[in-house]
Amino acid sequence: MKRIRPSRWSGQLLQARCGAGIAAARQPFLLAARCQSTSSAAAHDSTPIDSPPPLPAPSFARAAQSAKLAALHARLSLSKKIPLQTLARALVTPSADANPNFNNTNLAYLGSTIVNYHVLEYLVCKWPRLPMAILYEALRAYSGDASLQQIARRWGVESAAAPGEEVDPGLLQWKAGEEQVVNTRWGYIRSDKAPAWRRGLSSRVVLDNDFGDQVSSAAPEKPEFDSLQSEAFGSVVQAVIGAIYTHCGREEVKAFVKSHILSRELDPSTLFEFKLPTRELAMLCAREGFEAPVARLESETGRLSRTPVYVVGIYSGKEKLGEGAGPSLDVARRKASMASLKAWYLYSPGNKVRVPSDMMEEGAKPWTAPYIDIGEII
Amino acid sequence: MDLRSLLRPASQLLNPLRCLSTPRAAATAAVSLPLTSSRGHKTTARTKRALKMAPHDSFLPSRTAAFPADDSIIYNPPASEASPEHTPFIFLPRNDPRRLAIMRLRSSSNDPTAYSQANGELPPEMRYKRREAKYNLTKEHIEEMRRLRNEDPLTWSVQKLARKFECSTVFVQMAAPAPPEHLQWLKGKMERKMERWGPKRTQAREDRKRRAEMLYRGEL
Repeated sequence: MKRIRPSRWSGQLLQARCGAGIAAARQPFLLAARCQSTSSAAAHDSTPIDSPPPLPAPSFARAAQSAKLAALHARLSLSKKIPLQTLARALVTPSADANPNFNNTNLAYLGSTIVNYHVLEYLVCKWPRLPMAILYEALRAYSGDASLQQIARRWGVESAAAPGEEVDPGLLQWKAGEEQVVNTRWGYIRSDKAPAWRRGLSSRVVLDNDFGDQVSSAAPEKPEFDSLQSEAFGSVVQAVIGAIYTHCGREEVKAFVKSHILSRELDPSTLFEFKLPTRELAMLCAREGFEAPVARLESETGRLSRTPVYVVGIYSGKEKLGEGAGPSLDVARRKASMASLKAWYLYSPGNKVRVPSDMMEEGAKPWTAPYIDIGEII
Repeated sequence: MDLRSLLRPASQLLNPLRCLSTPRAAATAAVSLPLTSSRGHKTTARTKRALKMAPHDSFLPSRTAAFPADDSIIYNPPASEASPEHTPFIFLPRNDPRRLAIMRLRSSSNDPTAYSQANGELPPEMRYKRREAKYNLTKEHIEEMRRLRNEDPLTWSVQKLARKFECSTVFVQMAAPAPPEHLQWLKGKMERKMERWGPKRTQAREDRKRRAEMLYRGEL
């Protein structure tokens, strides 16, 4: 079998500057001059005709001179195969330079698919019984824009006050404000014919984007400053990961994702929100063929006082499922049911789970199928 | 050695003697005097001495072996909520190694994983409303229920029908829903009632709702 060598494709990342003339979104100089207008004529007269307009972002030719870029390259312990020019391109967001030949859109999309794949396969193997809604939120907690922004800031990425040619290429070229010229949102768009259809969770597996959020084909409403900022910073992390994949390959990018994204701690038990925990637990026991859950009062103190504490355990037959403490019998029982449900959902085969991409390594041990749950409690 | 801690058990031993000897008041005056002083700790030194307590045995290393004893691990966690990361035995899948290990332990005589107490008795069951499926209603019953509800929804309320047909209120609401105008009237009645609520009651209701949401999110 022939191996794919993505490192051979990386030449185009560096050659983009040669074809600057074909830039679609960058307006050619002659078209930009307003010949019919009288108001702008004075401004044009003062500048010499053959000087090109300033670039929207710093030229990659200056990347080698930037101390910030070299520092970032060294701080991330990136391989020598990744040139500083690629790192400089990862810092140019489409809000600064709309031309896809010069901004980080493509690298960021490549990186986001890699990050989401590695996080999702880890989550599914680590907590096989997580409900779909919790799985989406856990994925967002690892690789959503807000988390990636934190990572970028910890890497020491700083944004320039305003993007421009004269700015240090080691700064993030980003600006908020005008409408987004380039669409950077990816996902399956739902048809507009049936807007009244319920947007259920299982349809989000196929439709919508990676986090189960709806993507609309219409122009999005004006986003908040914070979300634009986290998107810009997040795209840096994704673009760096895309660059590592392009220049160094699969193993390196997996190690990088593991050490920078999967190493972050997430407690999935805080993501749950129940509606009717006692009924959900009864349905679970009925589905799995366990005896019906029974709440038993294990201990109590201060029943006649202002602050009583009851400890209630939920039992199925003689087996204890969970326990909870609360200031009233009802609260304690509901807390105990929630604890038992969390114990069911947060089953984990172990801390060192093997994921499918482990099999890509050379000399990997034979694959044993991971635990696959039959599904959520309905 | 703390003298006080020695004296306290000694004085407790003397207590029954004191009770026996109460009739002979004069003779036992010396005995009935408390051996431990009951005055307060008025100096720093006395307070410190009084508060100096030996740690519980579970915090001390094992002294079964002679000195120097072997390394021992002191495991004495504080009382705390059980973590949801501990999967109960019946929630473990069939081929999980933990399940096999627990089953092996349970087959042996002493089982440390069983949750039940030593005498095998479980804690008392709580009394709360729970579903007991009776399946006592037939098609005729349900038609009768619908007829009554449609004829006079005011007299035949959900509660009353549930009591009459011995089923749950939820079932009555599903099987014999009230006519829409009656529901509208009920809604208007509730709204008029809510308008009369003062700020305190409104606030209390909102707080209760917010507490319930926090409870279900696990923040409480």
